[in-house]
Amino acid sequence: MESMGNIAPSTLSVKDLPWQILWNKEKCTLCGNCTSVCPVRAIELGVHRKRALQVPIGLEQKATNLFSVYHGIDQRTDAAHACVGCGMCALVCPNSAIIPLRADESDKLRFHVNQGGEPRRRGGRRNAPESVLDKIKFVRISMLTDPALDAGRHEFELRTLLGRILPPEEMLKASSDNGWMPPVREIYPLIIGSMSFGALSPNMWEGLQMGVAYLNEEIGMPVRICTGEGGCPPRLLKSRFLKYVILQIASGYFGWDEIIHSLPQMKEDPCAVEIKYGQGAKPGDGGLLMWYKVNKLIAAIRGVPQGVSLPSPPTHQTKYSIEEAVAKMIQSMSMAWGFRVPVYPKISGTSTALAVLNNLTRNPYAAGLAIDGEDGGTGAAYNVSMDHMGHPIASNLRDAYLNLVKLGKQNEIPLFAGGGIGKNGNLAANAAALIMLGASGVQIGKYVMQAAAGCLGSESDRCNICNIGLCPKGITSQDARLDRRLDPEKVAQRVVDVFLSFDAELKKIVAPLGRSTSLPIGMSDALGINDASAAQRLSIKYVL
Amino acid sequence: MKKETIKIAGRENDARVESRILEERIQRAVAEGYSQIEVTAYGQHGIGGRLWRSGGGRIKVNILGTSGQRVGSMGFAGTFIEVFGPASDDIGWLNAGAEIIVRGDATNGAGNAMAQGKIYVEGDIGARGMTMTKHNPRFEPPELWVFGKTGDSFAEFMAGGTAVVCGVGAEKENNVLGYRPCVGMVGGKIFFRGKQSSYSQADARLIADLPDEEWKWLKSNLKIFLEAIGKQYLYGELSAKRSDWRMLIALKPYEKKGKQLRPMSAFKLEAWEKELGPGGLIGDLTSEDRSPIGVITTGELRRYVPVWENEKYLPPCQAHCPTGIPVQKRWALIRKGKIEEAVDLALNYTPFAATVCGYLCPNLCMQHCSRQIVNLPAVDIRVLGKASLEAGIPQRAATTGRKVAIIGGGPAGLSVAWQLWLAGHEPVIYESKKQLGGKIAETIPKSRIPDDVFAQEIARLANNIPHIHLDAALTRDKFKKLKNDFDFIVIATGATKPRKIPVEGIERAVTALDFLRQSKLDIAKVGEKVVIIGAGNVGCDAAAEAARLGAKKITLVDVQKPASFGPERRSAEAAGAKFIWPRFTKAIKKTGVELADGEFLPADTVIIAVGDSPDLMFLPENIATKDGYIVADENFRTSDEQVYAIGDSVRPGLLTEAIGAGRVAAAAIDGILKGITETYDQLPQIDVQRVKTQYFDARETGSADVKSCAAQCASCGACRDCGLCEVICPQGAISRRARGDDAYEYVVDDESCIGCGFCAGACPTGVWYMVENKPLE
Repeated sequence: MESMGNIAPSTLSVKDLPWQILWNKEKCTLCGNCTSVCPVRAIELGVHRKRALQVPIGLEQKATNLFSVYHGIDQRTDAAHACVGCGMCALVCPNSAIIPLRADESDKLRFHVNQGGEPRRRGGRRNAPESVLDKIKFVRISMLTDPALDAGRHEFELRTLLGRILPPEEMLKASSDNGWMPPVREIYPLIIGSMSFGALSPNMWEGLQMGVAYLNEEIGMPVRICTGEGGCPPRLLKSRFLKYVILQIASGYFGWDEIIHSLPQMKEDPCAVEIKYGQGAKPGDGGLLMWYKVNKLIAAIRGVPQGVSLPSPPTHQTKYSIEEAVAKMIQSMSMAWGFRVPVYPKISGTSTALAVLNNLTRNPYAAGLAIDGEDGGTGAAYNVSMDHMGHPIASNLRDAYLNLVKLGKQNEIPLFAGGGIGKNGNLAANAAALIMLGASGVQIGKYVMQAAAGCLGSESDRCNICNIGLCPKGITSQDARLDRRLDPEKVAQRVVDVFLSFDAELKKIVAPLGRSTSLPIGMSDALGINDASAAQRLSIKYVL
Repeated sequence: MKKETIKIAGRENDARVESRILEERIQRAVAEGYSQIEVTAYGQHGIGGRLWRSGGGRIKVNILGTSGQRVGSMGFAGTFIEVFGPASDDIGWLNAGAEIIVRGDATNGAGNAMAQGKIYVEGDIGARGMTMTKHNPRFEPPELWVFGKTGDSFAEFMAGGTAVVCGVGAEKENNVLGYRPCVGMVGGKIFFRGKQSSYSQADARLIADLPDEEWKWLKSNLKIFLEAIGKQYLYGELSAKRSDWRMLIALKPYEKKGKQLRPMSAFKLEAWEKELGPGGLIGDLTSEDRSPIGVITTGELRRYVPVWENEKYLPPCQAHCPTGIPVQKRWALIRKGKIEEAVDLALNYTPFAATVCGYLCPNLCMQHCSRQIVNLPAVDIRVLGKASLEAGIPQRAATTGRKVAIIGGGPAGLSVAWQLWLAGHEPVIYESKKQLGGKIAETIPKSRIPDDVFAQEIARLANNIPHIHLDAALTRDKFKKLKNDFDFIVIATGATKPRKIPVEGIERAVTALDFLRQSKLDIAKVGEKVVIIGAGNVGCDAAAEAARLGAKKITLVDVQKPASFGPERRSAEAAGAKFIWPRFTKAIKKTGVELADGEFLPADTVIIAVGDSPDLMFLPENIATKDGYIVADENFRTSDEQVYAIGDSVRPGLLTEAIGAGRVAAAAIDGILKGITETYDQLPQIDVQRVKTQYFDARETGSADVKSCAAQCASCGACRDCGLCEVICPQGAISRRARGDDAYEYVVDDESCIGCGFCAGACPTGVWYMVENKPLE
């Protein structure tokens, strides 16, 4: 604001902002680190005139003014430079002299972020920290009733199946007739979900892939990772690591010609192909990789010219009905690898999920269904889509599973759940809850960014600027000045840590249930919740 | 102590004796002093344990028949149990000192949780043998001897004691210790003979070469074991080769490192890049350096870089001066002590540096002074303006011999003439009146501009420009002739035709122009009551003059809120003039003015001051006009390329605007004649938010002398060489570099700069600015 006091409707004060910079003049050494590192330039060096009255005791002489000037760190208050609370300033401050604090009341900035008539866009997750999954408890502890297992001592087969599993009679028939048998992969139930090369920085993407390769080859955990829509580096396509990769195709079809060109040189089939129809964070909306993120590298991988914006429309352009859409797409993708690769669609959580699922049950080539709930993350979406669109995963997944049970096909089409798993850090508990509600496996994205790369985003709307290419940790930036902050090797190491600790925790959950040789998929008698209506809705125990 | 053996049957009268009863009978036998007990067991639980009643004396328990679970459990030292046949689960469970010999196999859990004593098994044992065993330092460690092999999960959570597994008969087995032994093992040791492919490496360590001491212990105790089970004849064979035996010992807590994994850096090199190629995933797509960097970077890795934008933008004062005077540069010169130079500078821009800047201008420069944004008074240019009266004349450019006719010797005409003369051309002024100066000379009241100031500035002009024709009214024919004689013609005839309003009795009113002209010549007369129609600045001048000439009651009437401002307005108000609006004149009667609303304003004199329009009788038809004014482009060129028009003949405006128009037109003509263009004036104005006024005294209320004015100037957009940037830079990356004469620049060492923006934040003048660094790829 101008010192004269001129105000406009969108003139804000520090008080009106969601994040307020607390700066300590005493501690500050004016090193410049904080202003250097602030991604949105929310802070700057300010000049301040200071007046002190010098009043002689006894008032025998006249009082005088003493003016001085000091420099300090000021917070800018215009909407474009509002602090995002990432806390990088606090990270780099040698003297702990600066920190962003959450405002004590709902901010006023939210009413003014739509400058120029453009609604707010951001990255991250739905700004709502609560989670039904966190409330689910595992109440069936079999100390004496079943063989009690010891998570530390017993060996566990924490594996799940991705692919269409034929009913025994059909399988026998296919086997005796030398007929076609749907491809099935035995994989680890925690999958790194789709995050594109482009949405993620090259270093982040490579770190994740490297970590996954390590888990497979050094630890023996068959962890899989989905590329997201943005193609796949040719080197990876032609490497043995491809078998750990689920290739994604979405409405933008980016990078697919490069994938096709690589077909003759592939040493391995990919783990699977995921057809993305929807995303939990922004159901019914598409994506747009802004031109400034489309640098030489991204352009090469996506097979596009540099510096053009890349739209992924909300819908696939050539699908006219669910029957036709799903059948046509699954057929084409299966054909690409001679029907040796499982192909499954991914949809956003929706009340229409059952329609999709019922359709898939009739399609022998459908290898499964992934459902991404409303708490899923994204690199860029309209705030309104993120906060208000979509279906919670727990009941959506549960309905889908119970529907399969009704059809007797719960062991034939695996369901994969995503969206907000581990959003409060309870990764294994959330995953186990979804598995026991009926998921064959779970997909994570945001969690792995937070745990493996130090993503600062939160559901209290911290940071969440993935969309503008200024990720202070270099996770979602295409600017080498930022993404080189991230060392792929260290990301890979953290991926390994995450999976090992998840594995240990999952064992701690399933061992007392007496399960060690198969995942407790749909074992909902183990679940309880301290909420009668949620219990009823999910068909699990109500416990107090 | 009784010597004879007591026989206790586990089956009586065709019925099994309950374990509880059998236990009572054994305990009673011990209490009665029996040291030899023979039990014919029938699956009873825990036989032979807890025989403390012997007080440490030797008790031998022989178990015939079928022993039940947990033989010898909680056994005491002094108890010797011999099972003649196989033993069931958990033999020696929680054994606290008994020695137990099993003359056959033992099933699961042999020695589970035992802390003292020994168990000798003549055959194999089942799963989970030697698990949870302890070694209490107060006692000798427990021992489990197995003649054959063990089942799976051997020695889980073993915390002490010694197990010896001879592996006899299991020579072809891959694992004499079964599957996954030693999980959770924290203490004790295991000797074994035979193959073992796996064990928990997280918990135990294999010793292939037995140390002397251990081998010695094993050999001597092996003998005892074999004797106990009646197989001493095998001693030679089993003890023949030390290398047949190996040991597993628990890792010490500090030795437990978990599973040893390949470091990620090695995996990257040996697996990842080996498969993908150097540079990993995208090594083929980019040659850019991708090595990790810190968050605080320098050089090309900075996100923002400072630029020293000295004089890249106009200060607001200069940007708003229609004449384009570099106001701020003049203050800067004064700060450097070059007062004369500062004063002289003005004459490069205006021939009326004192008359206009010092007296008549509303000083748009001051109105837009950055200081005012924060409530500080503007730097007072009038002080400097008045001082410009004595300014030295700038160096004139080499003469070109090109001639330009200037029609009109008012402020606009004299400005263009002055500029063209300075540029070396030959301006020829044609003025229809007998004196130069136009409105300044004719109508602006003497109270606002001292005669001598104006006269001196006119003299400066006239002394330098040789061709001035006074009393030279123009006609169309003459105009045509001028076109032939001159390279260019500039029309600066002003607005000399007073506008009138179509009301009854308008002929009774005197025009403000006439009135002020006469008043300036001291020949005007007014009555006591004066009504002035039109309350603009000219109306105000008329009001002030009317008062000077004796009017007592002055009323200004306007159809809208009066647009008058500044000293004109203040003079009228000081004269007691009354402003009324919005009022419409209906008629001018003999005794006064009748308004549309019926009010009658008595008046002895009525002055009409609703503006003047140009008198363009001389103008050829081919030069376009609109609404009575000549149409001109931004350089003041008319529809005739050879003819320019400036000042009030184009649009009514301030004196400074007329002077500025003269400068622009002169520059345009000069540019055409010489083929050059000036650029400084075309720079955009600096964003005043970049200027830091906090460095100035908030209580400064303006000052009368040029030095203090100069000190107050914030020097918007122009470096004042204060050196603050050098001092504030946390990296010491900024330095001042002299460039000969007085010139200098501030430069950034890119390799130390971290792009913090402190220079831009601290710079008082807003010269430093942070720009995004160039994209890397």
